[in-house]
Amino acid sequence: MIDWHPWATSIAITVAWIVIATGLLQTGVYVVQLLFAGVSLSRRPPVSNAALLWRRLAGHAPPIALLAPAYNEEITIVESVTSLLALHYPSFEVIVINDGSSDNTLQQLIASFGVEPVERYYDQTLAHQPIRGLYASPRLPRLLVIDKDNGGKSDALNAGINVARAPLFCSIDADSLLESDALLRAVRPFIEEPDKMVALGGTIRLANGSRIDGGRVISVALPRNFLALVQIVEYLRAFLMARLALSRMQVLTVISGAFGLFRRRLVLEVGGYSQGTVGEDMELVIKLHRHMRDRKQPYRIEFIPEPVCWTEAPEDLTILGRQRARWQRGSLETFFKHRDMLFNPRYGRIGFIGFGHILVVDVLGPLIEVLGYVLVPLLWAVGLLAVDYLLAFLAITFTFGVFVSVATLILEEAELRRFPRASDLVVLTVVAVLENFGYRQLSNFWRLRGFWQFLTRKQGWGKMTRKGFARS
Amino acid sequence: MGLYSLWAVSIGLAGVALLIMCGLIVVRLLTQRRDDALAAGRRSLLPLLLGDASDETVLAAVRTGSPILSDLAIELIELVRGEERDRLVATATRLGVTDHLRRTLARAPVRARMVAAETLARFPDPATTDALEAALEDKSADVRLAAALSLASSDRAPEARRLIDLLGLGTGEQSMLIVALFQEISRTRPGEIRALIDDPACPPPVKAAAIEALAASGDYSLVPSIVELALAADPADEELPRYLRALGAFQHPAAAPAIVRWLGAPTWWVRSAAAEAAGRVGLIETAYTLLGLLDDPDWWVRFRAGEALVRLGEPGRRLLSECSSCGTERARSAARLTLAEQAVRG
Repeated sequence: MIDWHPWATSIAITVAWIVIATGLLQTGVYVVQLLFAGVSLSRRPPVSNAALLWRRLAGHAPPIALLAPAYNEEITIVESVTSLLALHYPSFEVIVINDGSSDNTLQQLIASFGVEPVERYYDQTLAHQPIRGLYASPRLPRLLVIDKDNGGKSDALNAGINVARAPLFCSIDADSLLESDALLRAVRPFIEEPDKMVALGGTIRLANGSRIDGGRVISVALPRNFLALVQIVEYLRAFLMARLALSRMQVLTVISGAFGLFRRRLVLEVGGYSQGTVGEDMELVIKLHRHMRDRKQPYRIEFIPEPVCWTEAPEDLTILGRQRARWQRGSLETFFKHRDMLFNPRYGRIGFIGFGHILVVDVLGPLIEVLGYVLVPLLWAVGLLAVDYLLAFLAITFTFGVFVSVATLILEEAELRRFPRASDLVVLTVVAVLENFGYRQLSNFWRLRGFWQFLTRKQGWGKMTRKGFARS
Repeated sequence: MGLYSLWAVSIGLAGVALLIMCGLIVVRLLTQRRDDALAAGRRSLLPLLLGDASDETVLAAVRTGSPILSDLAIELIELVRGEERDRLVATATRLGVTDHLRRTLARAPVRARMVAAETLARFPDPATTDALEAALEDKSADVRLAAALSLASSDRAPEARRLIDLLGLGTGEQSMLIVALFQEISRTRPGEIRALIDDPACPPPVKAAAIEALAASGDYSLVPSIVELALAADPADEELPRYLRALGAFQHPAAAPAIVRWLGAPTWWVRSAAAEAAGRVGLIETAYTLLGLLDDPDWWVRFRAGEALVRLGEPGRRLLSECSSCGTERARSAARLTLAEQAVRG
């Protein structure tokens, strides 16, 4: 055994304490979120059957514009639009924004839906790449296609917001599938608190493995691909635990770009989606918080678990890695752009809890955890740290992780029971344990890569290959 | 707490979570068979409820007041109309569905109480009315509103002023469903809702909801009252656009003083609502003001002004056509595209 100088031991202990304290803080945040999510789930509004919901809300449901930006989506676009047009909602318009696709996305839309060039008077408050043309058909009055020069997702959404006339707009990914009554469920808070509701997010679930027919999820099943399975547990944790809890605390900082409902006027007032960032969905929510707080107006930004949007998860390490690095970059861009809100009393709980949460979970968490993976075992191996430090580190990175993942599954099973078979629960429980050994570390590595991309100012989304939903 | 305890606590928590999860999986396995049986029972119950089966036959399949019977009966009642619905309501009542719902409304958690309150709208018997009236004092605002809507939809609502107090309408309760509530009440007791508009003690959001509820009634005697409210309002009032839209819905020229005044409002949302109302009422004297609004800084005002000019008929279209060639760039664009969109070439 090497006899280390006391200062070396002190440095090692300090490093270990920083790693352990940060991990503990992160775990503490998750435990608090679990508690809030539990309370929120138990007090959520009833899941009325569709007919009852329609009878109660349809007469007063405000019009909604569904904005579906599409870039090279020729494989999925027709099925997605067909599914959107079949939604169960009294007054809505589907606005597909072809963002300068280099494939046949526009041609597919023209051929399948018979849309033709039209003129429409639209708002030009938000800046975006030029619109080449608008397409509609009297046969399908609910469909409008915008063809524009390529400018990215934010740019496409801004064009959609300008052209939309409904007081609410719903941003969705063109390759996602909404449950038929998702809009009616999502609009409920806007009807019940019309003066306060600003934005709302719904649950995103992964359709990998499920049976899909005619743009609808017919039966829920688990995928065979391990990466997709892990992502199911991750999405449960993100939506059922984190967003539900943050919403309960009124500090929700993200509404997924795949399914979010916004008050159009307020989004125009904050300048729409920011360009030159990959975290445009998060940034929009932060801008709305800032705007409402600056105006000192009471408001609500909510997440509710019932309206569900189904999406396709990447089943390939390279694509998943790119996606996670991009998400991390998006969080960092938003955090640093609005860093003046951090712990700023002017922004109340959003400054303290919302930004504090991003600081712990997205900014410091991955960095320090990866530092821990390298240093704590090394320092223990060379005799600078006692075994207690190693065990504490293992506790915060592995066993507490197992606890949080399994506890989320417990919430899902106790309150929602959306996985139809007991065998699904067995598989997910095993995955919830296994993901902490290998996948979690890989995920942190991807996030670190996102950190690096942020520091080196890398732009763009990277390539995301669409394969389309598997049909039944 | 030492570092080792951290390890011990984490192992303990993970172990407990896994144990609970295992327990839930076992429960799921045990209940899966019961759920399958319930689904099968539901399938066999469906033809019995839809057909002419006797109560005894139905009760041989499920016990009285069973949740499965209740759920299915409610779903079917929502799906059918007319005599078929009346028959199903009578059958469900005899089979104890209303008893089950009333018990739920009195004792279950909030979510179930709310569904029960919504569902009981279809059951007009006196015991249900009593249960719904009791639910008007429920501690949950959502349940109170659901009960009020149910009572109103079957012409059993208490007096509107009492509802305002019980539900905190316009003060605590701001839901857009207040309009639905007033619309239901006004079907049989329009005078009661009408009185709210003239009542100075009534909160402005309640007045606005009452006006919206009565806007489709065609009772032109309301127009002077709404005009008076609109003229007395502040341009920043959130209710003012609602008054103006209601005046537009009445399409009565007596609305002119309020509409003309607020076409020049400092707030865009009021100008926009006034422009829309001017078009609906067909106030030809506002044509040049509307033409000026085609150059308004706010898009909604320009859009509504263009729309209103089209509604004014030939004179409005002519002005749009002229503006499309000689106005400011903003007004030209608004005029040209409005005409193109309305497929009326100037």
